[in-house]
Amino acid sequence: MTDKLGDIVISKLQVWYGPIHAVKGVDVKIEAGKITAILGANGAGKSSTLKALAGGVKYIGNILLGNETIDKLSVHKRVEKGIVLCPEGRGIFYTMSVKENLLAGAYRNKKPDFSLVFETFPILRERLKQTAGTLSGGEQQMLAIARALMSNPRYLLLDEPSLGLAPVIVNKIAEVIKRINDFGITVVLVEQNTSLALNISHYAYIFENGKVAASGSSKELLRSDIIREKYLGGAKR
Amino acid sequence: MINQILLGLSTGAMYSLVAIGLVMMYKVSGVMNFAYGNMGMFMTYIIWWITSMLNINLYIGIIIGIFLAAFMGISVERFGLRPIRHLSHGSMLIVTFGILMILEGLAVQIWGTEYKSFPELVSGTPFVFKGEFGVIVLRKQDILVFVTLTIISLLIFIFTKYTKFGIAVRAVSENEEIAGYMGINVGSILAFSWAFGVSMAALVGVIAAPKVFVSPVMLTFYQIQGFTAAVLGGFETFAGAVFGGLILGVIEKLVGNYISEGFKATISLIIIILVLIFFPKGLFGRNVRRRV
Repeated sequence: MTDKLGDIVISKLQVWYGPIHAVKGVDVKIEAGKITAILGANGAGKSSTLKALAGGVKYIGNILLGNETIDKLSVHKRVEKGIVLCPEGRGIFYTMSVKENLLAGAYRNKKPDFSLVFETFPILRERLKQTAGTLSGGEQQMLAIARALMSNPRYLLLDEPSLGLAPVIVNKIAEVIKRINDFGITVVLVEQNTSLALNISHYAYIFENGKVAASGSSKELLRSDIIREKYLGGAKR
Repeated sequence: MINQILLGLSTGAMYSLVAIGLVMMYKVSGVMNFAYGNMGMFMTYIIWWITSMLNINLYIGIIIGIFLAAFMGISVERFGLRPIRHLSHGSMLIVTFGILMILEGLAVQIWGTEYKSFPELVSGTPFVFKGEFGVIVLRKQDILVFVTLTIISLLIFIFTKYTKFGIAVRAVSENEEIAGYMGINVGSILAFSWAFGVSMAALVGVIAAPKVFVSPVMLTFYQIQGFTAAVLGGFETFAGAVFGGLILGVIEKLVGNYISEGFKATISLIIIILVLIFFPKGLFGRNVRRRV
């Protein structure tokens, strides 16, 4: 990770699922070394954008990594470039042990290196032999993030990491995300939990019906009245 | 009785081998391969042909045949199934049906319907054990089948549990999309599962050939019984496939011996129905424990 990280520039991105137009031409810039949040309601096209970036869905448009176009690269080739998606709904391998999940994450690496993961998630070291499906919800989410970290990401794409978790756990996940970013990993965070995302991210995009409705630095967006009313339940802070 | 069970285990071990191949392809690619038996049949013909016509040593012929089988598996998966993967599993099933008929037709066209004899891999007088329990006869052929099954089961166990590629195979079989996000090349894993499956079919064909002779329908019965064995075992785990096959072999032998030889096939179909009614996940299917 010594070479300089390039920014990711997504331009005019469109995603179709059969007749459904999920993403209708969005432009997103992901600055290297920062946390970029993508916010919005259900069905706004956030996850589709993230999957398109990881190569998991077909799309129209252009994605640049540094100076290089990556549109033609398949999913596993993008993982080699350091773009790693941590899927929604935890998406761990339920029948496999925690260790096997982590090893699957490290598939591309010659030698699996657990140190970063154990440092970030000490609990997983104790659970290595346990079947992943029997972990608690929070632990499953941590495993999902840990597994993505095993792939040595330079860009970590997190899809709804706070989904269905208790507030205490959500705060923990938020701290973890900040720490991962401190290690020099660029984070793209898709969230419905607007206040969480705006508080930890540097820059944010708000999606509505497959388009970018607003964007700006997270601090500004937190202060903006419209955002506060629409997405933060009008709470004055 | 002991001899009956032993004979049953020996046939059962063959069903287990069939089931292992079926389960590998099903687990990873999600397709039940109906052409399995005929793929094995076709490869056995090729092995028979290169060894008897080209005078190649039998064992070298078998090794060549198994490599060709792997190649056949890879090409069928890559060019027959992957292009329609995004459609439905139904359409992939139809492709395997098509291959079943094509291979049978080809075999009849090229080699005719005459039965061809295939040399025994092992021969010689059976081992006979005498003791208080009576007399036990163990044929060399049985030992070959048991040894093959044991080696393959052990290899699969080690492979899926302790190798990186094996873990990737399990990851793909559990969730293809997410396995892709881990950097696993899903396509190569799919191809591998078919290469392995068809190689198993060829291996079964070679072991069965001396007994059933080489003919276009030589493995049809094994295919059905292997499928039953896999259903018995739950179609998900290799242990299920192995034990499902062994149990089925013993049941079949006992039915044949004590009730009627003609009921063998009927009984196995009744077993499929009963298992599906009472144990929808198979006798060895695991209920995945998970919290939500």
